[in-house]
Amino acid sequence: MRDILRQNNADLLREIGLLRERLEKAASAIPPELQPFQGWIISFCDKLQATALQNLRNLNLGLDSILPNILSDTQVLTRNVRLFNQRLVGPVLRACESDRLCLKVLRWIHSTHSLTQQIPMALSDGDFASWPQLDWPTIYFMPPSAQHRLLYLPLFFHEFGHLLYACHEPEMDELVKALQKEITQFLEPRGQRDDRHAQSEAKRRSVIVETWYEWAHELFCDGIGFQMAGPAFAYSFSMYFRVLMRDQYHIRAEELEHRDHPVTWLRIRLLADRVRRMGFEADAKALEDTWSKIAATMGVVEDYYGFYSDEFLPSIRQAIDDMLVEAAPRAFENQEVSATELLLLDSALTLSSPVQLLNKAWRKFLDDEGGYTAWEKNAIEGLLNDKTLI
Amino acid sequence: MSVQWLAVQSFQQNQDLLTAINKLSIHLRLQLERNEDAERAGEANKAREMLSSFFRELETLVNDTERGEEVPVLGANPRLRELARSFVRAKRNRRRFRSSLFRNGAGCFQQLLHSKTKEDRQALLESLEELRVLVEEHMHVDAERVLGEI
Repeated sequence: MRDILRQNNADLLREIGLLRERLEKAASAIPPELQPFQGWIISFCDKLQATALQNLRNLNLGLDSILPNILSDTQVLTRNVRLFNQRLVGPVLRACESDRLCLKVLRWIHSTHSLTQQIPMALSDGDFASWPQLDWPTIYFMPPSAQHRLLYLPLFFHEFGHLLYACHEPEMDELVKALQKEITQFLEPRGQRDDRHAQSEAKRRSVIVETWYEWAHELFCDGIGFQMAGPAFAYSFSMYFRVLMRDQYHIRAEELEHRDHPVTWLRIRLLADRVRRMGFEADAKALEDTWSKIAATMGVVEDYYGFYSDEFLPSIRQAIDDMLVEAAPRAFENQEVSATELLLLDSALTLSSPVQLLNKAWRKFLDDEGGYTAWEKNAIEGLLNDKTLI
Repeated sequence: MSVQWLAVQSFQQNQDLLTAINKLSIHLRLQLERNEDAERAGEANKAREMLSSFFRELETLVNDTERGEEVPVLGANPRLRELARSFVRAKRNRRRFRSSLFRNGAGCFQQLLHSKTKEDRQALLESLEELRVLVEEHMHVDAERVLGEI
């Protein structure tokens, strides 16, 4: 067993060494926005090497009783190297100039909050997602076709919400717990029975309440998206999902149990509620009408099978509002989102923040779809050349 | 939008737990069998702290889980809820899980973590070994989501 483990650890050591060499060689070609991340992964390489060396030293102790632990440590290291290989080195080894648009926006987003300023980040291909770890860089995933456009960049703000949740996790979990308690009370039956049916109903209520942990988390991230990016987030979110599939509008009752995300139509309803409460009545109505029209065309009837009821709404509003206060993200400013102010903004040269540009992009897209492509090309160039943004 | 955040956070937490279990176990073995290991005492104490803080969180969830399926476990992510459920199932499975941790619960484990007697250290080692098995089995789902299958 000792020889097997020695062989694996020695091989891991060689593999990490080779990766480290490649990462160092790639340093000169990476965009400046990626440099903090590159520094982090080189130091992570050193940690992985130190672990392999420690395992080899432990093997040299000649103690049979610790072999299961060295095996387990070798497995942990192997998984970390695999993770490193699959997800972390790619953004550096495959970095290209065109990553700069997303990286610049992401770096600006991180710079807006004291708890995330120092967290390095990187971009990877994939459906919108993120890896928000506090002691790791945050990896953001985005479909390649969306990476060179402005319209879907606002969805990064939702992903940033996951990082803010992680930064305030104990407090956030307490707020979600309070919401879950309120939902428990709403679901409580008026009369008490003590039979098999009552037991099964109690289990179902318990599943609904537990499911709201994940749902509250996602709704908080939607709230962060709107609070930081304004109407651009709402339009981006709606456009990305509205014609994807039937599941965005309706999900069978049994599939709602412990589902990671609320049904997207419900998210749109709650997002529109937030948009309206923030004073954007026309945008809220546009969102609701669009989704209602598509649902009607598909013949879908809105039903959440007890997982949501209008009587939950005041509690959900309060919980998400409280979570937003706790997270304290940078809120959009009026001149970044107001239609009148955006009309005056003729080019990216007078840009005050990426939020302003993303809202301008959506106004332009909605008002002048034909002229949008040419406008977007110039706007992206302006953003990349803007030295005033981080 | 996918929920990779959940899988990767759970994956990393379990990797850290396993590292802590192994560091402390190797340190205890060296102390018991060779009466030495001053070099790793600092790291072993950090591992104790990590395990202690983890069990403080898990204990509440385990207590809620033991109240039955009709009672929801609140304020915890689904992977942690599942780990609490696996822990409760393991407590009931005396054929596989016989150590002090699964017989006497997390509270007793906290005492073992800081005890200096030889018997308690032996009991702690047995508990850590079974805890390692439980965590390794639990993290399979996250590893598959994060790393995929070959």
